[in-house]
Amino acid sequence: MSMQPSVQPMTVPLVDDEPPVSLWRDAWHRLLRNRLAVAGLVIVVLLAFVAVFGPWLTPYDFLSQDLNARNQLPSLAHLFGTDDLGRDVLSRVIYGTRTAFVVAVVVTAVAVVIGVTLGAMAGFFGGWFDRIVMWLTDMTMSVPNLLLVVVINASLKGPAMAWMEARYLETLNPFYRETVWVDFLLVFGSMALISWPPYARLVRAQVLSIRGRPYVTAARALGLTNRLILTRYVVPNALGPLIVSVSAGLGTAMVLESAFSFLGVGVNPPTPSWGNMISDGLRVWQHYPHLLAAPAAVLGLATAAFSFLGDGLNDALNPKGSK
Amino acid sequence: MTAPAQDKPLLDVRGLTIEIDSRRGPAIIVDGIDLTVAKGETLGVVGESGCGKSLTMLSLVRLLPNKIRVKSGTADFAGRDLLKMSKAELREVRGGKVGFVFQDPMTSLNPVMRIGDQLAEPLIYHRNLSKAEAKDKAIELLRLVGIPAPEKRIGAYPHELSGGMRQRVMIAIGLACDPELLIADEPTTALDVTIQAQIVDLVRELRAKLGMSVVWITHDLALIAGLADRVAVLYAGTVVEDAPVDELFARPGHPYTRGLLASIPKLTDERTARLASIGGTPPEPGRRPAGCPFAPRCTLSEAICHERVPALEPLGTPTHRVACWVAQRQIREAA
Amino acid sequence: MAAAEPLIRVENLVKHFVVRLGAFGEVGATVHALDDVNFDIMEGETLSLVGESGCGKSTTGFTLLNLHKATSGKVMFEGENIVSLDEKRMRPYRRQLQIVFQDPYSTLNPRMTVGEAVGEPILFHRLATKVELPERVARLLGDVGLPARFASRYPHELSGGQRQRVAIARALACEPKFIVCDEAISALDVSIQAQIINLLLDLQQKYRLTYLFIAHDLAVVRHISDRVGVMYLGRLAELATREQLFSNPLHPYTRALLSAVPEADPIIEKTRRRQILTGDVPSPLDPPAGCRFHTRCPIAMDVCRRVVPEWRDVGAGHHVACHAVGAVAPG
Repeated sequence: MSMQPSVQPMTVPLVDDEPPVSLWRDAWHRLLRNRLAVAGLVIVVLLAFVAVFGPWLTPYDFLSQDLNARNQLPSLAHLFGTDDLGRDVLSRVIYGTRTAFVVAVVVTAVAVVIGVTLGAMAGFFGGWFDRIVMWLTDMTMSVPNLLLVVVINASLKGPAMAWMEARYLETLNPFYRETVWVDFLLVFGSMALISWPPYARLVRAQVLSIRGRPYVTAARALGLTNRLILTRYVVPNALGPLIVSVSAGLGTAMVLESAFSFLGVGVNPPTPSWGNMISDGLRVWQHYPHLLAAPAAVLGLATAAFSFLGDGLNDALNPKGSK
Repeated sequence: MTAPAQDKPLLDVRGLTIEIDSRRGPAIIVDGIDLTVAKGETLGVVGESGCGKSLTMLSLVRLLPNKIRVKSGTADFAGRDLLKMSKAELREVRGGKVGFVFQDPMTSLNPVMRIGDQLAEPLIYHRNLSKAEAKDKAIELLRLVGIPAPEKRIGAYPHELSGGMRQRVMIAIGLACDPELLIADEPTTALDVTIQAQIVDLVRELRAKLGMSVVWITHDLALIAGLADRVAVLYAGTVVEDAPVDELFARPGHPYTRGLLASIPKLTDERTARLASIGGTPPEPGRRPAGCPFAPRCTLSEAICHERVPALEPLGTPTHRVACWVAQRQIREAA
Repeated sequence: MAAAEPLIRVENLVKHFVVRLGAFGEVGATVHALDDVNFDIMEGETLSLVGESGCGKSTTGFTLLNLHKATSGKVMFEGENIVSLDEKRMRPYRRQLQIVFQDPYSTLNPRMTVGEAVGEPILFHRLATKVELPERVARLLGDVGLPARFASRYPHELSGGQRQRVAIARALACEPKFIVCDEAISALDVSIQAQIINLLLDLQQKYRLTYLFIAHDLAVVRHISDRVGVMYLGRLAELATREQLFSNPLHPYTRALLSAVPEADPIIEKTRRRQILTGDVPSPLDPPAGCRFHTRCPIAMDVCRRVVPEWRDVGAGHHVACHAVGAVAPG
C-alpha cells in the first residue's frame, strides 16, 4: 500500500491555547453566568454586611423608646416608621438581621460539624457505627420539629432562668442578668439538634458513592493511607453537594428562627428578631401595616436570596445533574 | 413516483447538517451528510465516538436531545421527507415503518412495565390490534427473536432477563410493526462476544426472512465486515468514504479508513509487532479545522487539505466514493 | 526461561463475595466470583486473562493485588504471600505492583491536576524530593507521549486517550515491576486503542515490565500476549501460550469464544462457520455443579454434570480443565 499511514506516537493536544481550569473555577464561572444566582449572592452579601456592621449602621438605638413618636408611618427621620413604643423599626430590622444571621450561622455550623463528622464516619467505616448513626437520624427526623423545640423550651427555660438568677444573686456578676444568652443557647441548641440529620445523610451518601469510585480504588492501589484518601480524594469531591445544602440550610435556619420567635419559643423581646417583630406587627397590621411589612419583606428577601443562590450553586457545581 | 421502485432508495439523506448550542455559540457537529439505503440493503455506519453517527440516526426520527437541532438537509423516506413531517405523520413512522434498537437494553426498556405490554403497545397504537391480538403477536415476536418459552416471558419485567435477552426484546420491539427500515444503534456494544454472535446471527436471519433494510451503527469494523452490504465511514461529522463492504475492506480509499483497518489487530496476523496507529485525537465537536477534518492527523495531507473541504466523489467505480484530495488525485494520475 | 522462578505465583485463589438480601440483610448469598485459580506469571511476560463479563477476570486482578481480600489461597511475590498482609504491611509491595483501570474518565481525581496526580505517588513513596519532582513528572509524561505542560491540566480537559496515558504515567511513577491492565483499552476508540497498545509494548521493553492484561477483546489479546488464560464463571478453563491457544484451542468454551470473534475481513466472514453458543452464562450466585460450562457445552457428558474437571498440564505448559480433553490427544 502506497498510502499506509506511518506510526505517529505523539498526540495533538486539544486545549493548547487555554489556561487550565479547575472544576471549582469552572463552577464559579457558571455561577456568575446565572443572573438569579448573582442577585441572590449580592443580597446575601449585603445582608451579611448589615448583620456584621449593624451597630454602626443603625440610625437609632434599637431599644431606645420615644413615647412622643409612637406608631409613626415611614418618614425621612424613621425610614421604616416607629413601633408602639416609639422604637425605630429600621434599627430593629437591622438588629433582627443580626439575630437571624447569628442564629443561622451558628446553628448551621454546629449542624454541619455534627452531621459531616457522623455522616463521613458512618459512610467510611460502615457496620454498627453506621447503623447507630442512621437510627439516630431517623429518630430525630421522625419527631415533629416544632414539638421538640417547644418541649425543650418548656422544660429547660424555667430551670435555666432560675439558675442564672441564683448565680446573679450569689456573685452579683452582671453577666448573669443577660437572660438573652439563655434564649440564644436554647434556640441554638434545639435548632442544631433538629438540623444535623440531613447533613449526616447527605455526607454519608456522598462518601458511600465516592468510596466506590475508581479513583479511590486507584489511590488505594498506590498504597496511599486512609487519611490521605479521605482528605484528598473523598472530601474535596463530596464538597459540592454539601455547599449547596449549606446555602439552602442557612436560609432554612433563618426561617426557622423567625418561626420560633414568632411563636414565642425563640428569641424573646426586647431582643429584636424578624419573627417576634412580625408577631407584634400582626396584632396591629390593620392600623400600622408597616410594622408587619418591614420585617416580613426582609425575611422574604433573605429567604428568596438563599434559595436563588442555592439553586445557582446546584447548577454550577453539578452541571450534569441539573440539565 | 416516476422511477421504478427498485432504483429509488428507501432512505435518501441529503446534506444533513446538525448543530449544537455550545458555550461558544452554535457549532456544527454533523456537516452535510449524504446517505442512502436501498430496499433490503444493510448499511453499516462506522465511526468513533463523537463522529455524529448516532445523532444522524436520531435526527431521522426527530429524537435529537435538547440544544441539538437539524440545521438543513432532507431525509426522503419512501417518498416523504422525515425532517418536514407533521407530528402525527412522524408518530406513524416511529416504531411503525422505522424500528429503532438502542445500545443499552437496560435503560431503553421501561423497568416497571412487563415486556409483553411494552411489545403490545406499538401494536395497539400503530396496527389497531385488540389486546388479545397484540398479546398473540407479542408471543410470536418473542419466538421470532429466539426467546425460549415466550408465553411465560411476556409476563416478565426487564430486570428478570439477562442482557442478551433484553437486547432480543429490544429487537422484537423494533420489529413489532414489520418496519421497512430497522435502525440499530450499537446494539451489541454492551454485550459479550458469544451473545453478540447470537444477535448478529439473528438479525441476518430476520433480514433474509422479512426483507427489511437495516442501518447498523457501530464503532467495530470487524463486526460490520460480516454484516453489511455497504459501509459508510464517518469522521468528525462527515462521510469520508462510502463503498460496498468487499470493496471497502479490499481497497480502502481514505487514509482514515486505512488507518482504522491497519490498527485492528488481526487473529490471522502472526507476529507481535507495533500496530499501525493514527496519531492524535479527533477534533472536538464544534472545533473542527478548516479544510478536510482529518487533515491534522493525516500523514499524507497537502496544502489543499488544510484549506478546502474535499467532496465525496467516486473513486474508480461509481459505487465507491471517497472524500479525499490526495486519493482523488492519485486516481486521476493513474488513469 | 521455563525453569525460572515466576515473578508471581497464584495458588488456589478463591474469592467469594457475600451479598445480603432481605430487608434486614438476614439472608446471605454467596457470589462465587473466583474459585480455585492457579497460574504463574513470569518476569517480563504479558499474561492475558480473557472471558466474558462476570467470568472473574477483573476479580482476579483485584484479589491478586490485595484490593479485594482473598477468601482463601495464596499469591506469592518475593517470597511473601501478599494476600495475607494487612494494608500497612502491604504498602511497600503496592509500589511494585500497579494497576491501570478501564475507565479513564473516573480513575483520575477530578480535583487534582495531572502533575499532582502523577507526582503524588512519587512523593508518597519518597522516590524523589520536592525539588526533583517537576523534572520527574515531565519525564514520566514524556514516557507516555504527553508534553510536559500537561502537568497543569485537569483531567476533564483531556480526551479519553490522554487520560489513559496519565493513568499509565501514574502507575509508572511508582517504578513498579508489575502492572495489571484491567480492561485498560476497552473504553477507548479504535484508533486510540492502537496508540495505547503500542505505548504499553514500548514501556514494557524500556522498563522490563510484567503485565497481567485483562481484556475481552481477543484480537487485542492475541496481539500483545505471551500466554493467555481463558476464564469462565470464576474458573480458569484453559491457559496456554498465545500460539497454542489460538491455533489449538482444547476447551470447548475457548473454541466457541474464538469462533464468536468477528474478523475484519468480509470474505472470511462470509465463508467461515461459526459455532454459536446457546443460552446465557448462569448466575455466579448459584453456579452449576461439576464443570461450570456444562449447561452450554456442545459436547457435555454425564460426568461433566457431576465432577469438577481437574486443572492439568497436557504438555508444554498448556493447561486445561475439561473431561473431554485427553481422550483427544493434544495437537
